[in-house]
Amino acid sequence: MKKHTYNNPVGVKNHTGLILIMPFIIGFVLFTLYPFVSSFITGMTDYDGINSPQFTGFENYRNMFSDSDFIKSVTVTFKYALILVPLKLIFSLLTAMLLSAEIKGIGIFRTAFYIPSILGSNLAIVIMWQFLFTSKGLVNQFLEIIGLSPISWYSQPAPAMFMIVLLRLWEFGSSMIIFLNAIRDIPQEYYDAAKTDGCGNVKAFFYITVPMLRNVIFLNLVLQTISAFQEFNAPYMITGGNPAKSTFTIGMLIYNAMFRYSEIGYANAVSWVLFVIIAVITALMFRITKK
Amino acid sequence: MKKLFVLLTAFLLSVPLSACAEKKEFTEPDGKLDPCSIRFSWWGGDDRHEATLKAIELWNQNHPDINIIPEYGGWDGWTEKISSQINGGTAPDVMQINYDWLVSFSAGDKFYDLGKLRNFIDLSGYDDEVLSFGKNKGLLNAVTVSVSGRGLFYNSDVYKSFNAEYPHTWNELLALGDKFDDKGVYPIDLDIQSGGTAWYLSVVYVQQKTGKEFITMDGQLGFSEEDIKTALDFYKQLENNHVIRNVRSRTDEDGNAALYQSPEFISGKVAGVLEWGSSVGKYEMSLPEGVLEAGPMLTDDNGNSDGWLIKPSMLYAVSASTKYPDESAAFVNFLLNDGKCADILGTTRGIPASSYAQESLEKSGKLKGLALENDRMLSQINTFTISPYMELARMKEFYNEAIESVSYNTSDTSSAAKKMYDSITKYLEKIKK
Repeated sequence: MKKHTYNNPVGVKNHTGLILIMPFIIGFVLFTLYPFVSSFITGMTDYDGINSPQFTGFENYRNMFSDSDFIKSVTVTFKYALILVPLKLIFSLLTAMLLSAEIKGIGIFRTAFYIPSILGSNLAIVIMWQFLFTSKGLVNQFLEIIGLSPISWYSQPAPAMFMIVLLRLWEFGSSMIIFLNAIRDIPQEYYDAAKTDGCGNVKAFFYITVPMLRNVIFLNLVLQTISAFQEFNAPYMITGGNPAKSTFTIGMLIYNAMFRYSEIGYANAVSWVLFVIIAVITALMFRITKK
Repeated sequence: MKKLFVLLTAFLLSVPLSACAEKKEFTEPDGKLDPCSIRFSWWGGDDRHEATLKAIELWNQNHPDINIIPEYGGWDGWTEKISSQINGGTAPDVMQINYDWLVSFSAGDKFYDLGKLRNFIDLSGYDDEVLSFGKNKGLLNAVTVSVSGRGLFYNSDVYKSFNAEYPHTWNELLALGDKFDDKGVYPIDLDIQSGGTAWYLSVVYVQQKTGKEFITMDGQLGFSEEDIKTALDFYKQLENNHVIRNVRSRTDEDGNAALYQSPEFISGKVAGVLEWGSSVGKYEMSLPEGVLEAGPMLTDDNGNSDGWLIKPSMLYAVSASTKYPDESAAFVNFLLNDGKCADILGTTRGIPASSYAQESLEKSGKLKGLALENDRMLSQINTFTISPYMELARMKEFYNEAIESVSYNTSDTSSAAKKMYDSITKYLEKIKK
């Protein structure tokens, strides 16, 4: 068989490819792989960041099962993810449906609905939430006007959880954008054909839109689940994990152990458990949906 | 490719371990001031920030070659920030530190031995006891800025409107609840946000009653389980007598905000506060000028005033990793002893512990205000010095957990006391190993 030779206009040699991807490799090794391995090793030590770390094997992992804060934070995180993710998917899908209409000025609405996602959970939002939800806040004033009893938002577990879920729900922009693009890619002919056969809007939604968006729904489900399990900012800023740790997520536990109590070994071990939880849940979602 | 993989794995495994055994590099003092930039960090309220920035301006005028870069913010999250900077080797050259950080960070030689920098820091204005607060294992790791204690401060307008006197005894304080209840006003409140304040007053109450220290200077739990229960019972009594808001109302009304930012405090619905003399400025600024006044230290019915606590409200330390120890020391000396600087800073960090700074403030007529009143009252009674162990973040977590469980009635005072006693004992044993 004749061996082909190719022109080599840019002078590519044996290691050129390796050199070209080196910036990525260096970045990946230093900022992803190294912290990853380092975190695992640190998780097997008793380390306060000051004294030399003592190798303790899996003791940090064993301690987790007797740590009431850890058990509480896992329960809270699961509860939070189970409430938030479905609500967010439904809400962003419905909003994307509304914003997919081709009417004049729709661009303004699309931009406006994305703004909460840019704001994030910063100090201004925390102050706004305080104006809304403290005992004399706007929400309670409104409830009183319509004849309902005011709610103790900050001091009862369920309302406190609702407040942080609402904040994240409000920031539905990124998942909405993904849905919006996918909806606009669905050929109009399908809807026209269905309409000719007497199909209404609701049926068209369930029999055309949802099946056509299956992959995108799955993508959003995975992304939102991962981000819900990593939740830290919203409960930290708004409720501080209170009342009675009913909004204390795994992210907050890691933060407290790492920065407040200098239990760096333990914080790293919990981070690995969080990583495993997310990996298992994602794998399960792939398996269930047979992706 | 295999070779590359093996090399990469070996590298990744070796780096974290070798980092742990990293050798610390200290810059020895060279006895002269070279041009450089120094980072200086502190926490505080706006009054302290404004004064400190002006003091830095004065330094920069006098030392144009040594530039000071300020890093400042509120107390919330400050320990976490500094902790990650110290652990990550990026600590500011000069730091305002909290008392318990001497326990948390000194073990690993994170602070410079200021004894080596005597050429630039004049400590002749300090008495030995005050200097000893900054010592750890025989080394002078920090210098006390001011000595302070928590005292009670009241909204004078509200008290006048009720025709009420500031309480002198615990019983008088408890009786005030009834008087103020009609209009839904609370005589005082204990800010749970800053950690430990709610527990603190109960500790003083029991220390006065029993003469025991809650935590000893060497980190032993001085209270018995029964003493802790007494303290929690007293806390509950404050809530039940409408002296303070319970945790539920406080959380509902203030959200996650600090008490001095709370509409309830600003509007006078909460008419008093327990606060460090050195930090009361932020409460003072929330109310019209002259409205907040210092009240007496509470005693029992026999006039026994023991049990109130004092501590170095804050200290200045130089990072062990600074490249400019001489320059940092000179700046610390300026902050502590310079007359003009003292005049600018006033009492924003409490009454200065340095006699030179005090003299200067006295001459300029600036030695006044709530911090001074609080300081004078504390100097007239038999105080205990707080153990740095009492202020550790994990310990504050134990106090807050107990207070919350008692306040929300999720636990009775006996069970909460037992849990707190066990947790503290176990934790103190662990950190002292």
